[in-house]
Amino acid sequence: MIDVRHLSHSFGPHPALQDCSFHLSRGEVLFLTGPSGAGKSTLLRLLFADLPLQRGEAVVAGFPLSKIRAAQVPLLRRQVSMVFQDFKILPLRTVYDNIVLPLQVRGMDKTHADRRVLAAARAVELENKLESSCVDISGGEQQRVAVARALVVNPRILLADEPTGNMDPELALQIMDIFKKFQNYGTTLIIATHSPELILRNPRARILRLDQGMITQANWPGAILNKFSSAVPLAAYGGGARHDSTEERDG
Amino acid sequence: MRVFFRLCKQALQDVTLNPWAQLLTLAAVTLMAFLVGIFLMAIITLDHQLGVIKGETIFQVYWRPGVEQNLIAGQWRQLRLLPGFAHIQTYTPLEALQELEGRIGRNSSSRNFPFLNENNPLPATALITFTPEAEDYERWLTETTSYLARLEGVERVSSTPLRDELGQAWRTVNSYVLRPIILFLTLILGLVVGNTVRLAMLSKSQEVEILQLVGAFDWYIRIPMLVIGGLQGLVGSALALFLLRFIHLQIEQILNFPPILMEIQFLNLQTIVLMLALPTLLGIVGGWVGIKR
Repeated sequence: MIDVRHLSHSFGPHPALQDCSFHLSRGEVLFLTGPSGAGKSTLLRLLFADLPLQRGEAVVAGFPLSKIRAAQVPLLRRQVSMVFQDFKILPLRTVYDNIVLPLQVRGMDKTHADRRVLAAARAVELENKLESSCVDISGGEQQRVAVARALVVNPRILLADEPTGNMDPELALQIMDIFKKFQNYGTTLIIATHSPELILRNPRARILRLDQGMITQANWPGAILNKFSSAVPLAAYGGGARHDSTEERDG
Repeated sequence: MRVFFRLCKQALQDVTLNPWAQLLTLAAVTLMAFLVGIFLMAIITLDHQLGVIKGETIFQVYWRPGVEQNLIAGQWRQLRLLPGFAHIQTYTPLEALQELEGRIGRNSSSRNFPFLNENNPLPATALITFTPEAEDYERWLTETTSYLARLEGVERVSSTPLRDELGQAWRTVNSYVLRPIILFLTLILGLVVGNTVRLAMLSKSQEVEILQLVGAFDWYIRIPMLVIGGLQGLVGSALALFLLRFIHLQIEQILNFPPILMEIQFLNLQTIVLMLALPTLLGIVGGWVGIKR
């Protein structure tokens, strides 16, 4: 579903991601952790074709991103949804307008789309605010709008950049439960987060820790391919299926 | 097609989301089209005016006072046989007196100048219009002037070859100067309208970005922009034309008095169509180029 090989990216002279490799299959969950500026958002944006690939290769939902043409990007994004850290919602439009947008783009009829929007809004507890303008709702609610918009299309892959950063802990866990339901239906998830609680909620999840653009820790074999990485298991997060990756390095 | 109409409807609804930006764009398009329209109206009026007189040479012939009217009437009949003759307007001394009174707003000479009825000082005159062949014009002018001056009883002959020269000059100016100026103005109109619409589209850059993020194809994003751009151009130029027509109705006759006698002309159909089509087309182009891939 997602295959990343030796992916590197720089913004000018500053490396944002260095020699990053991993593979995710259908229905797997990957948590990206690490300090701010570690390269989590860059990795997600690369996988969403929001940044051009500079070095390495990534195949997402069957699309090799190093060869993808501009006309194919919408096709990729119909398979992959993304929740952005800054939400990327239309502030002058209503909650309904924002959530229904990806369905309209796909040409879904209104009756069907309305049902989907209502279900997604219910999942993030926004069903009573569908007609509210997005400038009139709180930051946490705007984030939920972004989550609902990503989920409403039943994506094959969901990329989420700090999807619960502005939510209270209870609601954040609730959103994670929704993500898990999607995972159970086969959606592959990559979630960038600082929150150990979210990771603990998913004991079978894979975890990658990024630091200064490099994968420095992982909890499954074969994840760490660069020579700078340490082999410390991610005990701090309590994640399952941990492996000392030193022996798994490619060399 | 259903999606197309929904996008058009959406584009119209979106106008209300950012009404000031749309109104200012519309105002800019209207003002630019209006200014170009005013200039074109001036050109068309001048062209029409000179078109009326182009190629004409007019002679005014004055007879000495007291010359027998029967003699003069015979000469008037002979003048119609001259080469290039187009039209003659004659005045007997009495008609000249009545014309003079008419010009100063009275109806009857007997009421205003009764003392002149028996001692009219005005001569018989004739205003003769010719449309001579362009070739060998100078020879024709000399011969005709000489012929008229030699008529019995004629005191003075004046002519207006300048009008013909003015007509020729206008045609030259029209070909070499005005047409390029009109083309240049059209280009300016296009650039201003296109760029104004393009700038207005930048205010929708956030929406465009989000549509791209949710998987919208290029055409899906562009159609509403093209509709808005085209509408801005069409409505802006239509408003400018209405404004021009309204002003034209107010000033149509403002220069229509002697000696100017110039009726201000409105834009012809061809120009109206051009003024509607060009901003519309360029609004659409502005909407297209306003969106970065």
